[in-house]
Amino acid sequence: MTELEKKIKAKIPGEDTGIEIKRSLCAVCSPGNHCGLDCYVKDGKLLKVEGTLEHPYNKGKICTKGASNRDYIYRKDRVRTPLKRVGARGEGKFEPISWDEAYQIIAEKLNAVKEQYSPHSVAFFSGFCKWYRPILHRFCYTFGSVNFGTDDSTCFKSTDICHHLTTGRGGNGPNLPNANTFLGWNYGGYYSNHLAVPGAQALKERGGKIIIIDTRYTPAAKNLADIFLQINPGTDGALALGMAKIIIDNGWADMDYIEKYTYGFEQYKELVQKYPLDKVCQITGLNPDDVFAATKLFATNGPAAINFSASALAHRTNGLQTNRAILCLSALTGNYDQPGGNIPSVASYLHKRGGFDTREMEFRESKRPHDQLRIGETRFPPWDEYCDEFQAMDLLRQIEEGTPYPVKAIVGFGFNAKMFPETDKLVKAFDKLDFFVDADMFMSYTTRFADIVLPSCSSLERGEMKAYEGGYLTFTKPAIPPLYESKSDVNMLCELARVMDLDDDLLKAGYEACCDWMIQDTGLTVADLKASDLPVKVPGAKPTVPGEYIKNGFKTRTGKFEFYSTAIASYDPKYGLNPLPDYVDPLADENDPETKANYPFHLIAGARIPNTLHSRLHEVPWLRSLRPDPLVEIHVDDAKRLGIGEGDKVALSSPHGTIHLKAKLTSKVKPGVLMMAHGYTEANANELVGRNHLDPYSGYPGFKSLRCAIRKEAE
Amino acid sequence: MMKYVFTFDPNRCSACSSCMIACTDQNDIDLAAGEKCYRKTYDTEIPLDDGKVYCAYLSTACMHCDDAPCIAACPVGCISKDPDTGFTIYDNTNCIGCKSCAMACPFGAPRYRKEDGKMVKCDGCYMRVKNGMKPACVRACSFGALDCVPEDQVTGAYSDKACNVLINQAGLRRKAH
Repeated sequence: MTELEKKIKAKIPGEDTGIEIKRSLCAVCSPGNHCGLDCYVKDGKLLKVEGTLEHPYNKGKICTKGASNRDYIYRKDRVRTPLKRVGARGEGKFEPISWDEAYQIIAEKLNAVKEQYSPHSVAFFSGFCKWYRPILHRFCYTFGSVNFGTDDSTCFKSTDICHHLTTGRGGNGPNLPNANTFLGWNYGGYYSNHLAVPGAQALKERGGKIIIIDTRYTPAAKNLADIFLQINPGTDGALALGMAKIIIDNGWADMDYIEKYTYGFEQYKELVQKYPLDKVCQITGLNPDDVFAATKLFATNGPAAINFSASALAHRTNGLQTNRAILCLSALTGNYDQPGGNIPSVASYLHKRGGFDTREMEFRESKRPHDQLRIGETRFPPWDEYCDEFQAMDLLRQIEEGTPYPVKAIVGFGFNAKMFPETDKLVKAFDKLDFFVDADMFMSYTTRFADIVLPSCSSLERGEMKAYEGGYLTFTKPAIPPLYESKSDVNMLCELARVMDLDDDLLKAGYEACCDWMIQDTGLTVADLKASDLPVKVPGAKPTVPGEYIKNGFKTRTGKFEFYSTAIASYDPKYGLNPLPDYVDPLADENDPETKANYPFHLIAGARIPNTLHSRLHEVPWLRSLRPDPLVEIHVDDAKRLGIGEGDKVALSSPHGTIHLKAKLTSKVKPGVLMMAHGYTEANANELVGRNHLDPYSGYPGFKSLRCAIRKEAE
Repeated sequence: MMKYVFTFDPNRCSACSSCMIACTDQNDIDLAAGEKCYRKTYDTEIPLDDGKVYCAYLSTACMHCDDAPCIAACPVGCISKDPDTGFTIYDNTNCIGCKSCAMACPFGAPRYRKEDGKMVKCDGCYMRVKNGMKPACVRACSFGALDCVPEDQVTGAYSDKACNVLINQAGLRRKAH
């Protein structure tokens, strides 16, 4: 081999090798991340990827999933052209059609539903990867439908609503650089949020203390924890209330902060008296000394920051109140919006906090219809008040029952039916629709049920706008041309707006015009952003300053941090919602003696593993190779008792269904607990989840706390 | 001869396997054809004498031994030391697929590739290192568990993390039979 041949084989970029590094971003996971990506490209082909070292957000780091971008993009089941269904719904038989024909069919079908029923009978739904949401949201409103929904119906929003109810402002971040103690409540990091790990490592290295509370013994518990509390699933609310009692009883509460900034302390203090340590330990399965030590560390070694997650605790029928009980600990110890505590901030664009304002909200609000209830509206009052989307956990019911009005068409972008409890019932209900169009990169489980499938391109094949922490905005350029006939999702929507001649000149002017409109107050234009391969600093962007928010009063009804939620108190008593964050058993709706006896295990469905993200990556060969089979993790003692060996075929069942997978024996979960990853078509955890096993505050399903049974199957 | 070494900190690893994916991406390893990645991670639960369990998260590949037994074992001289990096590299043009290298290696690093009947292994991404870049696996590690540094920069406590300390650690902790 010549030196040049060796360099080409090693993919060394340079003029001699013809390999160029093009900047893009990874959109495999949620826009909460989207790391900067170096794409090694030659002759329009992607050769490999790495994190962009100079990128202000991820500083060169990408995760297992992001490292797989090449295999993800070149998946064999990419949708190549627009497709029209020719077989029965779900059969998977399609024929290629032109873009023009696809747009004509979509326009005709949506207008027919609009005329025969109403525009609201068309539901617009965004799954992954969410980046096109502002455009889809506005398209939905301009079309005349109130029904814009997203996967926020089961992720992120519950925690966000909890914060709004309690503090008047959305999610907050733990301020680790100034913290002495990190209460890593359900903090996994390594498999779910790789960029959250270095901050925790740094805290530990400078002598800070870390408490990890989790249902499984995770790498974070092993590598980072000074105290690890392995808690019974779904009992976190009881622990938080018990910790509050210890803090108050020992005089560790920050009474100055409480008097100045909070509302309802006396009622809260009375509530926590119901949770003495012995009772808490009985519920949580924890050792009293450990709980006391963790509480003392958190309360007396401040400043202390708490981890809040988008899904882990929210995926329980008591999820929103659990997060509220934990959030109350932050105010109780005077850490909320204080250096080293939890600092609230406001999103600039697509949930990213950049420290500057865009007109993303106005972009859609200006077109919002108000003449109908959204799907699910009036069922979950906090959701109704704090979220301008339909609650998709009511979609199945409304399609089936047609009340208060029928849903007859769905416009999906990355629609994932496996996100829904009783998935089998939902796809059956699709038969009641007049029309279902779905845009996706891949022929997914869900696209099989669509009438029209549109081929989306990946983030590497398009340009997109994105905000980042630290005051940054970027607009990427395609690293490679779109594969086959695929298109950027937003281009589809703007082109469709033209074909349908919607009354919206901005949408019809295209994505870049829309972005320019949204960022008009930043002093930058899309052209400015495109002139740079890296994110650009927005002039005048302000960092979030601790203490800034609470200085002028909380944006709650009382202007205070509400231990006692006046918003919840204002809802109709018929909902039975509690203004105080009391604890309720996560299996309260499954505790009748018969169900208890038949389904003795506690299933946690959706615990993160490094190589999967929902249903999106199971078919990526490199990632699938790391765990080829769907596995349920079971404690070694339970397995021994039931005669289940490593890799044995087992059936998991609940009152709602049965799935088949293989056993993985472990000591990382407690006896009585089962754990599995979700999103598999051949072992879909949501076949086990009942459609009404929901958190009454948020509408979120209890994916991570449900009863089930396990039995060994014959080979 | 300049020498680079791989270092590994078992207390930063989670067996997330981004190193394996990056190695696969870098080396075009055809997993579908049955090829194996040159690097391998382990998520292993080791029972201890006191009844507890040690959860080991490890990432291993060719150790690039100073006195690499695979070099001497190869009858056709495919394997050598790269003078610029000290990595154990190979040119399998003349490989006869006898697997002597694999048998000589205590770590199972050389792999036999069925497709063309030749040996392949981790070459430390020596061409990347020579061009001022980190090996692909190191570049993909978000947690600082894996690194690759010139040998003279490995000092004191840090040297404990070099090479096969992970195996010693796991071995020491293994339940006595």
